[in-house]
Amino acid sequence: MSAQSYGLIATFKTAPALYHAAEAVRDAGYRHWDCITPFPVHGLDKAMGLSRSIVPRISLVGGITGFCTGMSLIWWTGAVDYKLIVGGKPLFSPMFAFPVSYELTILFTAFATIIGMFVLNGLPMHYHPVLKYDQIRRGMDDTFFIVIEARDPRFNAANTRALLEQAGGEAITELEP
Amino acid sequence: MSSHAASAPAALSAAPASTAPAASKALTLGLAGIALTALGLFVSGAKVVAHSWLVGVTYWTAIAIGMLLLVLIHHIFDASWSTVIRRQFEHGLAAFKWLGLLFSPLLLASFLYDRDLIWPWLDLNHEMHGGHTVGHDPLYLKKAAFLNPGMLLGMTIAFFAGWIWLSSRLRRASFTQDLDGSLGWTRHNRVTAAIGLPIAALTLTFAAIYWIKSLEYHWFSTMYGVWFFANCVRGALSFGVIIMVWLWQRGDYRGILNTNHFHSIGMLMLAFTVFWAYVTFSQYFLIWNANVPEETFWYNLREINHDGASNQWKWIGIFGILFGHFFIPFFFLLSYRFKITPHILRRIAIWILAIILLDLCYNIMPALKDSHGDALPLLSLNLVWILTSVVGVGGVCVWAYLRSFGTAKLIPIRDPRIGESLTHHE
Repeated sequence: MSAQSYGLIATFKTAPALYHAAEAVRDAGYRHWDCITPFPVHGLDKAMGLSRSIVPRISLVGGITGFCTGMSLIWWTGAVDYKLIVGGKPLFSPMFAFPVSYELTILFTAFATIIGMFVLNGLPMHYHPVLKYDQIRRGMDDTFFIVIEARDPRFNAANTRALLEQAGGEAITELEP
Repeated sequence: MSSHAASAPAALSAAPASTAPAASKALTLGLAGIALTALGLFVSGAKVVAHSWLVGVTYWTAIAIGMLLLVLIHHIFDASWSTVIRRQFEHGLAAFKWLGLLFSPLLLASFLYDRDLIWPWLDLNHEMHGGHTVGHDPLYLKKAAFLNPGMLLGMTIAFFAGWIWLSSRLRRASFTQDLDGSLGWTRHNRVTAAIGLPIAALTLTFAAIYWIKSLEYHWFSTMYGVWFFANCVRGALSFGVIIMVWLWQRGDYRGILNTNHFHSIGMLMLAFTVFWAYVTFSQYFLIWNANVPEETFWYNLREINHDGASNQWKWIGIFGILFGHFFIPFFFLLSYRFKITPHILRRIAIWILAIILLDLCYNIMPALKDSHGDALPLLSLNLVWILTSVVGVGGVCVWAYLRSFGTAKLIPIRDPRIGESLTHHE
């Protein structure tokens, strides 16, 4: 194998073929690999052995941050920095701080979700080695691909190629970085 | 566990296993609850028992209204994933006519026995705190066109008539489609949903106003109907989860339900938990902020006695309503794992159903006052009659559900969305 290779790409004709090949690659213990499909294949995440996204946890952190920001904003401005009695109410009460905290909870949750999703997906991404593969555009039409990256610790040009062949992959090609 | 567990969609060919023994058990339990509640008339008096009965009937009516709303919403949105559980809600709608029957003693007793029994404004000679009567109360006279015996009677009959009419239309169309497979029934139900949603929204709002809010007719809150709506839907979703897990464990739903059905109904439970909290907090917050005596007395009654000491309702409000009804279910329902684990989701559903009952108690029972005008505590003999009422009405409702359960297929097998529903995915 050449040290400059990005990895191997294999072509599959049908979704079931890809699905079972994904199970084979998963069971072989690969970690740095991906499937390219023209449409979402339900259950593929399970076949690839992917766990659920951690974005919801990032959202939760964002939400808690927003809530605390709202509460401390109202407390700091009303009860510390510029004390002002409004409508005979106490200088601070969680009651009137609640609408602000609630809105900021939603806002910060939305920010955390979007940013978390972008960061975890490595977006924005303007270049990816598979784009150099001349057949890749068929991945948006009628063909399925599996890409196994060379940086995977289990990657070995001969063995990986054999695995993909055994799994039913066709036109196995080395990708330039 | 049933013997046909794990055989793929058993319901597609076979009729569901018999529920007749369970149905007669439920009816026996219900009648026992009703008999015990009647016994309460001689122990605690008519007033206490009538209020407890009101809690019991509105509790189960709320759940039935919630089921009606879920079926209507399902049709108006042409929803797919909920098709397999819609049938269970349709069975639940069979309870409406019995609920109407069980509500009638409250009206009969109010009109024939004691006008003061539940709704003070039914009796113009009812004496108010301070000496004058309802008939001379300016705050009553302004509302007299709305709050009078004829309106209460007519409206209550109209509510039940509306719910029974919508339910029978939805049930007939859905059950007939099982037999003839005609797409016309799907369209028929969509039309029913378009007509039925405004009817359901208005009737449930007015029901909440007439039956519950008018117990303190001086008070006003524009959030009240929405608060009741949120409880209705939360109750129906939670009851739906209990039915789903029951049929799952019994084997009927094996091969029909998948993880995503539980996830989806769990997400709706979470959404309505937040919605309920939004509405309930808004009501409290607006009254707290405006600080007008005509409104604040309602919460004062539920917080302090005339001498300023805290009463039981204060702790019920904080720990039951604020934490129990919002924070606890909210944090549990945030978790994906809890939503897709049937027995955990069922535990959350049972918790929510119990707290909805507490919420109704919180809204109804403080109308019972002692000689100082303080709310009678919940933890007393009164609680026994509330529980017997809930069991009494509940037994009859569960009986009505189980009796209907045997008359149709487990799932609407010829609904155009059934295939999509069986393969529901994220």
